[in-house]
Amino acid sequence: MDKEQILTVPGRYDQIQVICKFVSAGALEAGLNKDDVFHVELCCDEATTNIIEHAYGAEDLGPITVTYEISEEAFTVTLQDDGRPFVPDDVPEPKLPKIGSTSQGEALDDILNSLQIGGLGIHFMRQLMDEVYFSFNGARGNTLVLVKNLNPEDQE
Amino acid sequence: MTISCQQVTGEVWLISSQGRLDQSLNPQLEQSLTDLLDNGQNRLIVDLSQSNYINSGGLRCLVTAWRQAREQGGDLVLCGLNNRMEEIFSLIGFDRVFTIHSTYEHARRHYYP
Repeated sequence: MDKEQILTVPGRYDQIQVICKFVSAGALEAGLNKDDVFHVELCCDEATTNIIEHAYGAEDLGPITVTYEISEEAFTVTLQDDGRPFVPDDVPEPKLPKIGSTSQGEALDDILNSLQIGGLGIHFMRQLMDEVYFSFNGARGNTLVLVKNLNPEDQE
Repeated sequence: MTISCQQVTGEVWLISSQGRLDQSLNPQLEQSLTDLLDNGQNRLIVDLSQSNYINSGGLRCLVTAWRQAREQGGDLVLCGLNNRMEEIFSLIGFDRVFTIHSTYEHARRHYYP
């Protein structure tokens, strides 16, 4: 049977660790290995930071609701806020250093720019999670869904 | 959870983080690095061996300080990354931006071969 837990906190930086602990406990219970738990935690940290910085634009402007669900196939985290619509396609993919590049000059400026607009957090989510969905509707605000598949060998 | 700074050899400063490099500790890291660089101390070693977590904000602090140190003719090198930290750095190509040494002793030799 699926299990679901819900946590609502004010949109403040000091709540990020509360969210991370909540989600990590669920990820461990779901049977994810320690590396995967860390990946989930990092992605929730980045997602929460983006909500405060970009959807709300500052601290204490609205709540963040975090839900996790454990099913046989996956560990799914959903983050919701009441902030401005967040369109991930508007955030360019960070231009990260290529193998063999010297990472100087213009390429480095691109990295710094992407770090400042939250592009790196989205990059982490897309790299470290199996599925990432963004959606927005007027009634519920932004919804971000992060999915980590449960591999049978992880559940021992 | 803290950031400590000490002058180790000649003009070289060691910055050690202890704890998670997240929103609660990153401002302290940023302040420590900025204070050193504003005083012209630009030969820096950042020891991450007591941290097993870093988010994009922490990475932003490090790369900003790295660039400032290089602009001043100095450098910022890293040491003591555990496997988890190495994974994050390589995921975004930062293992090719920074000079990363396994231990503090190796990092010190970067400045005093």
